[in-house]
Parts: sequence; structure tokens; C-alpha cells
Amino acid sequence: MGRDEIIFLLIGLKWTIALSIVGFVCGCIAGLFIALARTSGVRVVEGLTAGYIAVFQGTPLLMQLFVVYYGLALIGIKVDAWLAVAVGLTLHASAYLGEIWRGAIEAVPQGQTEASKALALSYSSRMKDIILPQALRISLPATIGFLVQLIKGTSLASIVGFTELTRAGNIISNQIFQPLTVFGIVGILYFIMCCPLTIYGAHLERKFAAQAR
Amino acid sequence: MNEISSSKPEGQAMISMAGVDKWYGAFQALKDINISVGKGEKIVLCGPSGSGKSTLIRCINHLETYQKGEIRVGDIVLGHQAKSIDAVRREVGMVFQQFNLFPHLTVLENCMLAPMRALRLSKVEAESRARQLLERVRISEQADKYPAQLSGGQQQRVAIARALCMRPQVMLFDEPTSALDPEMVKEVLDTMIALAEEGMTMICVTHEMGFARQVADRVIFMASGAVVEQAPPAEFFSDPKHERTRKFLGEILGRH
Ligand SMILES: Nc1ncnc2c1ncn2[C@@H]1O[C@H](COP(=O)(O)OP(=O)(O)O)[C@@H](O)[C@H]1O
Ligand SMILES: [Mg+2]
Repeated sequence: MGRDEIIFLLIGLKWTIALSIVGFVCGCIAGLFIALARTSGVRVVEGLTAGYIAVFQGTPLLMQLFVVYYGLALIGIKVDAWLAVAVGLTLHASAYLGEIWRGAIEAVPQGQTEASKALALSYSSRMKDIILPQALRISLPATIGFLVQLIKGTSLASIVGFTELTRAGNIISNQIFQPLTVFGIVGILYFIMCCPLTIYGAHLERKFAAQAR
Repeated sequence: MNEISSSKPEGQAMISMAGVDKWYGAFQALKDINISVGKGEKIVLCGPSGSGKSTLIRCINHLETYQKGEIRVGDIVLGHQAKSIDAVRREVGMVFQQFNLFPHLTVLENCMLAPMRALRLSKVEAESRARQLLERVRISEQADKYPAQLSGGQQQRVAIARALCMRPQVMLFDEPTSALDPEMVKEVLDTMIALAEEGMTMICVTHEMGFARQVADRVIFMASGAVVEQAPPAEFFSDPKHERTRKFLGEILGRH
């Protein structure tokens, strides 16, 4: 396995990181609105977002990527694999993060909402200044856990022909017939990305548990 | 003592509740509540657990909705639209049994937030107001600590300062000393007494009968969601009219 192959893998790695970041950042933004809608107290809105979450949690990510990739093409919108995968990952992440944060918002003690209301804070201030900062903290370990899942999930983008790390590994492996070496390296690269996050998540969880005592 | 309540003419009522009914589903938590509180008047609200005291004061700042009757604060009629609710909440401060300080903000930030957000004060104004009120509850040296670093009594005094930073016309207290260790009750009561002496209009749900005797203009006794009896403290304690009041007083005074 030579220098060119390594570089090809690293380019794949770059796309895996890019997909993870785009999926996570856009998923966070959309997920925030999902979480707020899910806790809005407006029946219809809560029902609709509950349905959205159920659909995306109840179906495989692979199928979601297929639907976005081929579905958009079917209704005449031509998108390249990169955009389709980014949209698919964003939808997927928004549903999971929305659900994680809904739980976190509901875990903030009711007294915080009451004190905010009694102080005449508006809904937006109550959320931005009081509830979300506390909810974010509560949800941080689960959010990081989801990010790790999402990074690994980007490997499914290879199915729709997008050359990220897993597909890059596949291509190299087919060229040089050393699958063990190639996928060993691919595995190590995923591990280097995910393991620090997992450790950090566990660290935060312990820290919060200690503070709660 | 009688002349205190009679010296507050009806027209000056700071808070009035007229024919207020509230249900939780099929359960009626408030039954035809008619109360008028004059400017500067101090009310102690007492009654057995579950009698509707919290529900009553939480209706005044619309933390609970009510189904019938009218509530006024100053000249604001508390409707169910956001506008009147906000207006009322800017005039009414509330102190909770569990303090409900914001744990992720320092003491100073706890006090500055609402004046900046709800009254649009500048940071400088909000900070000077906050420091002034923290001084008044004698806790200014803790301004940069987080709530969890303070004792219960200190936290409750911060909660009082936080509410006062809105310059409210009325203060509501819902069992402010019930969650405190006994040795911290006094510091909170002293703060409340000082506030009363400065002329604040107050409604206090409390079982601290010493406090009631010392500062209340009127004691209101509730049972099963209704006002059973109200009288100036001397009369209320020495000559309760209703059987339920006597029973309640027997229990609460006997306990101390
Ligand atoms: N959210 C609620 N849902 C249903 N019932 C409630 C709710 N809150 C209070 N209640 C009932 O209303 C009654 C009055 O409660 P509350 O005002 O808290 O009493 P108090 O403060 O005098 O102890 C109680 O019987 C209580 O069980
Ligand atoms: Mg109560």
C-alpha cells in the first residue's frame, strides 16, 4: 500500500468529516426547532413533530438516504450525491437530536419555567437564557453519543455512490487486493475520530453525576 | 388592629379577586374567591395542606389559569391574553418554596436577567440595581457565586432580591421558609419583615404564626378551596369564629 492509496483514503476521510460536520450542524439547527415544536404545548404542532421523529427513528438511515437521493431525482430535482447525503443526514440527525433535546428540555425542573414566567420573561428569553442552557448541559453526553453514531453512519453514503472513507477503502481494496490492511486502516481512522468523543462524553456524564450529588 | 384594614379604601385595592373559580379537571381547587388587598397591606394566607393557597396566589400572576371571575392588579385586569399577563407579571414578584434560582447563572446574573430582558434596562443599570438589592438582603459579598454554593437561607434571600429587582408593586410568597433548615428561617423572615416595614404590598402563604402576628394586617384562612375566615391577627388568633379555623390553629400552634 503506497503513498497514493493513503492519500486517496485521506481524501475519503476528509469527506467523511465534512459530511459529519454538515449533518451534525444542520441537524442541530433543525433539531432545535423540532425540540421546541415538540415541547410547544400546541397539540397539532407537537403531534406533527412526534410523527416526524417516529418516521426517522423508525426507519433505517440507509433507506432515508435512498429516498432522498432517488426521490428528489424522481420529482425532477437533480442533486448530486453530496447534497442528497447531506440532506438525508440532516433530516436523520434533526429527528434524533430533536428527541434527545425534547427529553432534556422536559428534564429541566418545572420551577425554572415558573420562576422565568413570574419574572415576566418572554418565551424566547425563557428558552434562550434559562431552559436551553440547562437542557443542553443535561443532553450533552447523549448528544455526543449521537454524534459518534452519525460519524459512523456517514459510511452509508457509499451506497449511493459517494466516495467518503468507507467507499474509498473499498475502491483501494479492490485495486490492491489487501482488504485486511486497507480496512484495518479505515477502521483505525474511524476509531481515532470517534473514541475521543466517546471518552469525552463519558467524562461529562461522570462530571454531571458528581455535581448532581 | 381593626383600623389598619379599614384605613384602606376599596378604590385603592392593589389586588382584587372577584368570584374566582378554578378547576383542575373535575376537581374544584378554588371556590368563589373574593379578596381585596389594599396598597401596602400585608396578608398572611394560611390553611391546611391542599386547601388551595398556592393555587390562589399562582392565579394572581397567571402561573395558573382560572375559569371564572376577575382578577385585577392595580388597574390591570388580568385577562388570558399575553399582553395583560406580561403587564401583571412585571408588577408582581413571586418567591417560591424551592427558591427556583437559575443554577447556571451567578447570583448577580440571576438578579440582572429579568430587568434587562423584561424591562429593557441596560447592563449597567441592571447591575447597579442588582447590587443595591443584594446589599439590601445583606448578601452582596456572594454576588459572584453560583446558587449551589449558598445555603438555603442565602438562596432564598437572593430569590427575594431577584424578584425585587423588577421593582414590583406586590410580592407573593409561597411558603418561603418551608424548605429551610430551622436555623435559616429567621434570616429569611427578617428580610421579609424589613420589606413589610418599607411598605411593600405582600401576600404570604406561611405557617410562621409569629410572622403573622408581627407583620400581617390581615390573616386569611382557607380550607377546601374556599376562604373560611379573615381577620386581623390579634382577633384571628384569640377569637377564631369557625370550627375549622380553631381546629387548624390548635394543630399548628400545638405543634410549635
Ligand atoms: N396541577 C394540578 N392538577 C390537579 N390537581 C392539582 C394540581 N395542583 C394542585 N392540585 C390540587 O389542588 C388542591 C390545592 O392545591 P394547592 O393550591 O397546592 O394547595 P396548598 O398550597 O394549600 O397546599 C390540592 O388538592 C391539589 O391536590
Ligand atoms: Mg402550597
